[in-house]
Amino acid sequence: MQNWSTRLLLMLFVLTLLVAGCAKKPVAEEAVVEEKAEVAVVEEQPTAAIVEEQVDEAAAARAAAEEAARAAEAAARAGLARIHFDFDQYLLTDTAKNILENNAKLLKAAPVVKVKIEGHCDERGSDEYNLALGEKRALATMNYLVSLGVSADRLSIISYGEEMPLDPAKTEEAWAKNRRAEFRVVL
Amino acid sequence: MNFLRTLAFVLFLAFFSAATVGSVEIEISSPGEQTIPLAITPLLPIDGVKQGIAEEFQQVLENDLDLSGLFDLVDPASFLSDAKKLTLSSTEVDFTQWRLLGAEAVLKGGYRFEGEKMIFELRLYDVISRRLLTGRRYIAKKEDVRRIAHAFADQVLLSLTGELGPFSSRIAYISNRSGQKELYLMDVDGNKPLRLTAHRSIVLNPDFAPKRKELIFTSYKEGNPDLYRKEIYTGRESRLSLQEGLNIGGRYSPDGREVALTLSKDKNSELYLIGTDGSLHKRLTKHFGIDVDPSWDPDGNRIAFVSDRRGNPHVFIIDVHTLEVTRLTYEGKYNATPAWSPKGDRIAFSRLEGREFNIFTINPDGSDERQLTFGPGSKEHPRWSPDGRFLIYSLDRDGNKAIWIMRADGTGARRISAPGGDDTHPAWSGRW
Repeated sequence: MQNWSTRLLLMLFVLTLLVAGCAKKPVAEEAVVEEKAEVAVVEEQPTAAIVEEQVDEAAAARAAAEEAARAAEAAARAGLARIHFDFDQYLLTDTAKNILENNAKLLKAAPVVKVKIEGHCDERGSDEYNLALGEKRALATMNYLVSLGVSADRLSIISYGEEMPLDPAKTEEAWAKNRRAEFRVVL
Repeated sequence: MNFLRTLAFVLFLAFFSAATVGSVEIEISSPGEQTIPLAITPLLPIDGVKQGIAEEFQQVLENDLDLSGLFDLVDPASFLSDAKKLTLSSTEVDFTQWRLLGAEAVLKGGYRFEGEKMIFELRLYDVISRRLLTGRRYIAKKEDVRRIAHAFADQVLLSLTGELGPFSSRIAYISNRSGQKELYLMDVDGNKPLRLTAHRSIVLNPDFAPKRKELIFTSYKEGNPDLYRKEIYTGRESRLSLQEGLNIGGRYSPDGREVALTLSKDKNSELYLIGTDGSLHKRLTKHFGIDVDPSWDPDGNRIAFVSDRRGNPHVFIIDVHTLEVTRLTYEGKYNATPAWSPKGDRIAFSRLEGREFNIFTINPDGSDERQLTFGPGSKEHPRWSPDGRFLIYSLDRDGNKAIWIMRADGTGARRISAPGGDDTHPAWSGRW
């Protein structure tokens, strides 16, 4: 109590001094500083509607799963890599098998994704033969993915033969590029 | 419908129809070995009114007859006064003049107009025996000048060889000139190209029905490579075979009742016969290898096809009744696209050597293989003219693919499809 009244007295005293000091200052000599009124326009914001939700732990899990599935699908879309074949061959090379193992992982992580496997050939060879060869390539690719655990009903095949080259040049490099199987996500 | 109208000209056998047996008959199967010196005189107006159609007629006729390889054309600069005389009867022709120039046959004719109608009188005379070989009158519309020239070229070949020429027939082919591969039709000399499909997809590998004005082809229009049928005049189109997987390489049987094609519904390409209603008639091949590219022999008993059942792609022959398979080609490492000649005596095919295909022919028993094409560029898809005199094929050279024609012995090769796109997969119609 004692302490409190002492502090109050002290504060009153300081305040008195300050007021006295101010009053003594000459006023007329001051240059007029016109301050621009800074008008802050505060637009009235509509009050945010209050969302009231029941906390449902299963839904949260579902959303998280959906998010994960979307991510897996996006990963599959972006990550499914094409494979290449030797001339007049539909046997999978070791490189192709490695790529397919990764593709299978991506597909197993994204179980809703359906994929059409396109078989392609280089321009050499007869058109009809290449249509059949392209189909064999697509089929070999599909069978390997199935052997790696990808469900067969998610996979379909089509052959375009030599009709859709990646590179139209007539070089060994272009031909090697064009002998391929591609993965198209069809959902 | 345009073509229907174009075709609507009436053909009249003129006088002396018995005169088709000429005194200058030559061997059909060996063009180039013996040529006939032929003088083609400019057409003259019968009523004296020039119409500027004689030049186009002459150019078309000359091109056809030159392609046949049967003639040596006598230089028009050396022609004497008879060339300027309209002589529609053998008694009026001054044969002595033509004999002097070394001509053994002389072609003369005239034209006149009757309202909308155009009337051509055309004559082929034998200079040695001084008689008419063939005479024809054509009544048609003015825009049919080329048709008449082709029709008369066919008659000239008939009168000199005993067999009609193929110049009035048509060639179907695949072109990407619209941006996508579509089906086209043109005259045998490449004129009057006409787009038949607007699938905006991939159209492949046409074949003509032997008797109807109808084509079959493969298209990805509905996503899958299905076999389509199209009536040329009505434009009516339907899917003939839509099995899962490939429906490719359709070829009408010679009687037009069945179609041989490759299906892959068994998860492997096999040859099948289907009816013209699309129903499955018969599975021909049973082999884990690739079986494609059927081509009928003209009797309809055997089919040449391509298979890799012995390793590399080679041509084999299957008996349609017993399903017995025999191997046709042993040379080379990649033989494809067999085409059985309409007379049954030869099978054309293309062989890949290095980077390029060349066209060969071989007897159906595997003997007497001959290379027909040489030089730069890849030559594929050989198909025969209905009389077996010529082969058409696609030549891929300098980054451009075009349809070419040559005689059955490989001579006289020339380009027929116009520039402006990649043209492949020609097919020759039957008699039109």
